[in-house]
Order: sequence, then C-alpha cells, then structure tokens
Amino acid sequence: MPRTPALLVMHSDLADALLRAAEKVYGAVEGVEVLSNEGLSRDDLEQAITRRVADWHGGGLVLTDFWGGSCHICGVAAARGHGDVVVVTGINLPLLLDYLHNRDEYGPMALADRLIRKGRDSIRLHHGQVA
Amino acid sequence: MSWLLQRVDDRLIHGQVVVAWGGRMHPQRMWVVDERAAANPWEKDLLASAAPGAEVRVVTVAAMAAAWAEEERAAGGAFLLVRDLATALALVEAGANVRRWNLGGLHHAPGKTKVNEYIYLDDGDRARARSLLARGVALEVQDVPGARPEPLSTLDPESAPA
Repeated sequence: MPRTPALLVMHSDLADALLRAAEKVYGAVEGVEVLSNEGLSRDDLEQAITRRVADWHGGGLVLTDFWGGSCHICGVAAARGHGDVVVVTGINLPLLLDYLHNRDEYGPMALADRLIRKGRDSIRLHHGQVA
Repeated sequence: MSWLLQRVDDRLIHGQVVVAWGGRMHPQRMWVVDERAAANPWEKDLLASAAPGAEVRVVTVAAMAAAWAEEERAAGGAFLLVRDLATALALVEAGANVRRWNLGGLHHAPGKTKVNEYIYLDDGDRARARSLLARGVALEVQDVPGARPEPLSTLDPESAPA
C-alpha cells in the first residue's frame, strides 16, 4: 500500500502550528505539506493547492479547518478532476495524529472515513472528578 | 428586510462571510453575482454547498438587476456578494440600488498596490471606485463585523473623486 499523502490547508498559521503540535506527540513528520490562505485570493489559493496535489497520482487528502471557508472551497475546486483526492474539513489534533499513524495502511477514501470518525470521537465531555 | 450586507470580496462565499457576518446577521439568501460562476453548474453547486442554512443564488449581473426590486421586498435578510469592483460598478450601472459596498477582500495580484492587509487596487479599480463614489455609493473597508469600517477614500486618497 503506497503512503496516502496529505496537505494541510488552513487559516493564518494554524496548519503549521497543528503540524508542530503533532510532532511534539508523534515525533518528526515527513511528507505532510502545509499551506496558509493568508493574503491569497480565491484563484491564487486554488492554484496553490492544485500545484501541490498535481502529482498525487494515487490520490491523497486535503485537510482543511472548517466547512464553508476558503480553504475548504478551494480544496474542493482543486481536487476536481484529480481522481481520488479527498477533502476533509474540521481537522483537529487527534485526527491528524490518527492520519500519521495510518497513512501507510489505508487509501484516501477509507482513510478519510476513518479520520472523520476519529475526529468526532475525540470531542468528548469530561465534567467533574473521576471517581 | 432584505439586504443585510453588500460586499466586494474576491473569495465570494468563504469563512468571514459564512461564520463572521452570517453568524451575526443570519441571512436567508446569499446572492452571488458573478458571470463566470453563473455559467458553471459545478461552481454553482460548490458555492451552494458552502453556506449551510442559507439559500445561495448564483446569477449574472443582468439577472440580479432584474430580480432587484423583488428581493428588496422579500421577507428575511439577504447578502449580496461580488468578486471585484468591476462587477460592483456594473451592477449599479444596471440599476441596482446599492447605497453602500462593504470592501472585504481584494487580494494582491500583479499591478495592484496595497491599501491595507486585505485590499489591493490597480488603476482600473481606482477609476471604478471613483465612479461609484461619484454616484453617491459609499465604499467602506471592513473585513469582519468586529472591525471598524473605514471609508476607502480615507485609506486610499487616489480612490476619491477629484
């Protein structure tokens, strides 16, 4: 199974910060690119993503911060026509860590399904003291 | 009630529009006036999916001008989004009664000079801005609701009519 590549596209410096936080937990990370939407028009951001996914011949994951944002919209537009390039929104640290642990085990679609479940499951309420 | 926000932003529907302005004003409709997007069914579907809770209508300048009077009488609030000052001016010239454009994002491109962190203009943009201002249309620079709106002609005196 070839490694499923990923590109983090987020507002401001969130992608860079999230990857640095992941490295504190996971260790050094190779093969994950980051991109900020800072100062980019819709067309420029879409082109920047397109350039990065152009050689993902087996597909990959564009991981973005929230649905409806420019990172999401431009990710979807850039993924159009690139086969198995999948856009996932709502990325959090547990989800990114799960990606790093499983990127050599799953293809893009199966990995995206797994990450969505992991991301949702990671949001939990802990109220009061543990008995 | 109708128009809540009339905005020039080259990203059209995106986070600031959906989360910041939308979260505060709760529009029932978002009109995207854009010749390119209106001619592309795939792009129309993408924009429609990006604003949960609002009906997104992607139309041409002519279609928006034709629907203007009806929209002004419609129940519920609406956003108007265009990608550039050329479309903003074309819409006004087509008869749309816009009194104030919010300038929320015109990003850097070759030939454009910086007004602030999110507004860059070239000579053509400034000529269109002067034309709008001369028609009595206010141009206010403001990216999110929490920011202070500033007149474009204050930030960029070249955009003010002589």
